[in-house]
Amino acid sequence: MLDGIKAIAKGMGTTFKALGEPRDTYPYPEKRREYSPRFRGKHMLAKDEEGHELCVGCGLCEAVCPAHAIRVVAAEAPGDKPVSWTNRYSVDYEVDLIRCIFCGMCEEACPTNAVRLTPFNELAAYDRETMIADKDELLRPAIRK
Amino acid sequence: MIRLTIDGQEISVPEGMMIADAAARLGIEVPVYCYHEALGPLGACRMCLVQVEKMPKLATACTTAVAEGMVVHTQGAAVDKGRKGVLEFLLINHPLDCPVCDKGGECFLQDYTFRYGPPAGRFEEPKIQKVKDGPINEFVLIDQERCVLCQRCVRFMEEYVGEPQLLLEGRGVETVVSTVEHRPAQSQFAGNVVDLCPVGALLATPYHHKARPWNIERQESVCPLCPVGCTTLNTGRDGRIVRVEGRPVLDRNWGWLCDRGRFGFDFAVSPDRLTVSRLQGHDEAAARATRQVGQWLEQVVGQYGPDSVAFVIGGLHTSEEAHQLYRFATEVVGTSRLAMSRQVQGYLPRGLNGTFEDIAAADAVVLVGTDPYEAVPVVHLKLRERWRQQRDLKLFGVAPRTLGRETLPVDTLITHVGHEAHVLAQALARVVPDHPAVAQLAIQGDSGFDDAATLAQLGQALVNSEHLTLLWDGVEPEVESVLIALATVRGAKVTRVLPTWGPSNWRGLERGGFPARLEALTQILKDARDGKVQMLVLWGADLLREYPDAQLVQEVYQTVPYIIGEGLFLPLGSESMRAFLPEASPGEMAGTYINMEARVQTLTPSVQPPGQARPTRSYLNAWAHSLKKSFVAEDDWDPFDDESGDLLPVEAIPATIAPLSPVSQPSGEMELATGVLVMENGIPSELLRSRKPQALARLSPVDAQRLGLSAQGMVRVARNGEELRVAVTVDQAMTPGRIYIPLGVPSCPVNKIGTGVVEVARLEEVHSA
Ligand code: SF4
Ligand code: SF4
Ligand code: SF4
Ligand code: SF4
Ligand code: FES
Repeated sequence: MLDGIKAIAKGMGTTFKALGEPRDTYPYPEKRREYSPRFRGKHMLAKDEEGHELCVGCGLCEAVCPAHAIRVVAAEAPGDKPVSWTNRYSVDYEVDLIRCIFCGMCEEACPTNAVRLTPFNELAAYDRETMIADKDELLRPAIRK
Repeated sequence: MIRLTIDGQEISVPEGMMIADAAARLGIEVPVYCYHEALGPLGACRMCLVQVEKMPKLATACTTAVAEGMVVHTQGAAVDKGRKGVLEFLLINHPLDCPVCDKGGECFLQDYTFRYGPPAGRFEEPKIQKVKDGPINEFVLIDQERCVLCQRCVRFMEEYVGEPQLLLEGRGVETVVSTVEHRPAQSQFAGNVVDLCPVGALLATPYHHKARPWNIERQESVCPLCPVGCTTLNTGRDGRIVRVEGRPVLDRNWGWLCDRGRFGFDFAVSPDRLTVSRLQGHDEAAARATRQVGQWLEQVVGQYGPDSVAFVIGGLHTSEEAHQLYRFATEVVGTSRLAMSRQVQGYLPRGLNGTFEDIAAADAVVLVGTDPYEAVPVVHLKLRERWRQQRDLKLFGVAPRTLGRETLPVDTLITHVGHEAHVLAQALARVVPDHPAVAQLAIQGDSGFDDAATLAQLGQALVNSEHLTLLWDGVEPEVESVLIALATVRGAKVTRVLPTWGPSNWRGLERGGFPARLEALTQILKDARDGKVQMLVLWGADLLREYPDAQLVQEVYQTVPYIIGEGLFLPLGSESMRAFLPEASPGEMAGTYINMEARVQTLTPSVQPPGQARPTRSYLNAWAHSLKKSFVAEDDWDPFDDESGDLLPVEAIPATIAPLSPVSQPSGEMELATGVLVMENGIPSELLRSRKPQALARLSPVDAQRLGLSAQGMVRVARNGEELRVAVTVDQAMTPGRIYIPLGVPSCPVNKIGTGVVEVARLEEVHSA
């Protein structure tokens, strides 16, 4: 009997002690963890200061991707540089975020520093199709709240 | 033979061979830019440096001929240093824009720099800027900054093709490749410079910015557009063929293509291509259309018996498809009415069929009706290669118009239309008048060709040359008889003929089981007109465009209750067809093509058939089901022969020589000559639109003037109540009294007129307000 009370007291002691300690978990989604800027999350396609797309559609990211998650379709860029800084750009650029293993190889291969992995990691969807990020989506990178 | 050692391996090679080629035969790669075996040594780029023992300095492997006992090292510190230096120099002004360069990933400058080059250059001055993406012509772009000045392109056009349309301009580092007077390079062979350029300086416009080696399907195939059957690599991307490149085959061909084949691949994605089944004039689901045709087939066979169904094959089908259709027709349906649709009447027995080696070994070549440049372009290059090696090669032509051109001079005997056989026989008779074979030809009549000296020259070449090769367009069927007589007269001396007519795979269709002689088709059409055929299955055949007697075809189309068509494009007269089924094109399925050499070559698909288009066997399996017969189209048949390998088995030359029909000299009226040309063969191409002639018909300057035609105009060509309105162009190669119109153009079905005497009148030009 006495042993039982002792054990409960010890248990409750641990509980109350832990109550006062700082938390290891976050009350997601109200509060979110900070990540290092080097964190490899969802991709983005960057533009230069004048708003030209940096991607020239060289396809190196596609070639290097070990998960075959990237698809690039290049084309002659529209004249007078409204979109691209040079004469070639990607008309179509897709990343399959289900296949992607976030290794960052594409980022490393890119000769124009166009594709970058952002810290955005909130990747959830109701179907697979939504998980394929197209070019429009990648040009407007999502920001973590 | 010379014996030498390369990297410790011994090899014997013929005298005069360059070290680079000898190494290649051992499987040792010596990096080269400027050297190409077909173009010969130049020594412009210095990329091929190797070390030869007892030579004081590094030697260029492409200009140093092998010598007895030579010891060559293609590796080692000295060679590495040499290569590094050469590459560093080449890269001094190179833009290094690989990310936007079409050659990126398949570029020899990238590859060699990666393998042998220095990690970085020391040159710090700004790079020289030159023209980027400037057009050489509609199909080829040049980026002068990327050029390594190897001169392959310039030398190919100037020396090999003989049409010097590219040149080097400027001096030193300012040197660039450009076109003569900055006009577009119009040669039929200009596209080959894209394959020849070792770097990304010359690019194909249709492939510009399209793909990379890792996101394409690149498969070995064969060009289906003419009977040469050039070997190709087809590049497929996202379900479309986007590029065709030449594919060299060691010791057989250099991988040249003509622009028709290189840029004409878009017929498979032409807006005119049918990719949905048609039933009674409406689009229909594939399964329903196939089932309906199967039911009709069952009814017809049940009611009228198997022989009331006739199968006519044609078009771009593979040999395997022909064989499957043959088996279906004979085993499942049980009919004996089989035929092949071709544009010309001539037939060449297998025994006389030569190969391209017969061009390379010929000492006399006779072109019968055919102008290789326009009909079988790559054969023109082969002939020219032979002519360059042996300038006293005798080249004769027998045709109603002048054959050959500056780059391949031909002595043409200009005949009246339909008299080629007669003139050939006359030439033969002039040299061996008493030979029994000549007697059997029973030469009668007056061809109007009485130039005794020329006839004698041709006769001498025909009879006395050691290795005689003929090219024949098949338009004039009696030539077959003369060819057999000729082979008989020549006995043991080699006599070989290359047939230049289509469909490209007619030998394959024949090998698959369909009779190639036109008589079979004529018989079927006559029977059909007489009501003996209830169902006519036209497998790729477009009879109104192809068959010589369009009148008969019209009658058949009105008589036969069930006409079932299949093909890539809706044929003429498709209103009469109960059903039309879309076919898979040669780039979309595996199979074989047999070319004009009777050589079997395999096709590997690089894309899937679009829409409802499907290969023959899909239809056949479904119909066998309707007929409640068991049939598996996929058997293990292939056209290869166990003994003759990729050539069809050799057959004896037929012994009977049919007598020629007598000719009479026409009374000086206009005559219509026809033939099959590769640009105007009726297979559509949007890309080649600018190369397709606006005016189909050709007239001599004399006739044009007589008719009051300016450089271009319209004429009306008529005979026997049939008439054709066609645009003409004035052609110096035409002879007065002849008008030439190519066969097979859907908008101008000249087969309904037929060759021979016609009325030609100028049409007043209608000026639209
Ligand atoms: S993102 Fe970079 S690596 Fe990928 S295609 Fe564009 S430029 Fe090339
Ligand atoms: S030619 Fe070769 S090395 Fe030069 S930019 Fe093109 S791919 Fe790069
Ligand atoms: S364009 Fe190409 S083929 Fe022509 S010289 Fe330059 S590198 Fe050689
Ligand atoms: S010669 Fe004939 S087979 Fe060769 S590329 Fe031209 S069209 Fe094709
Ligand atoms: S390949 Fe030998 S010098 Fe160019």
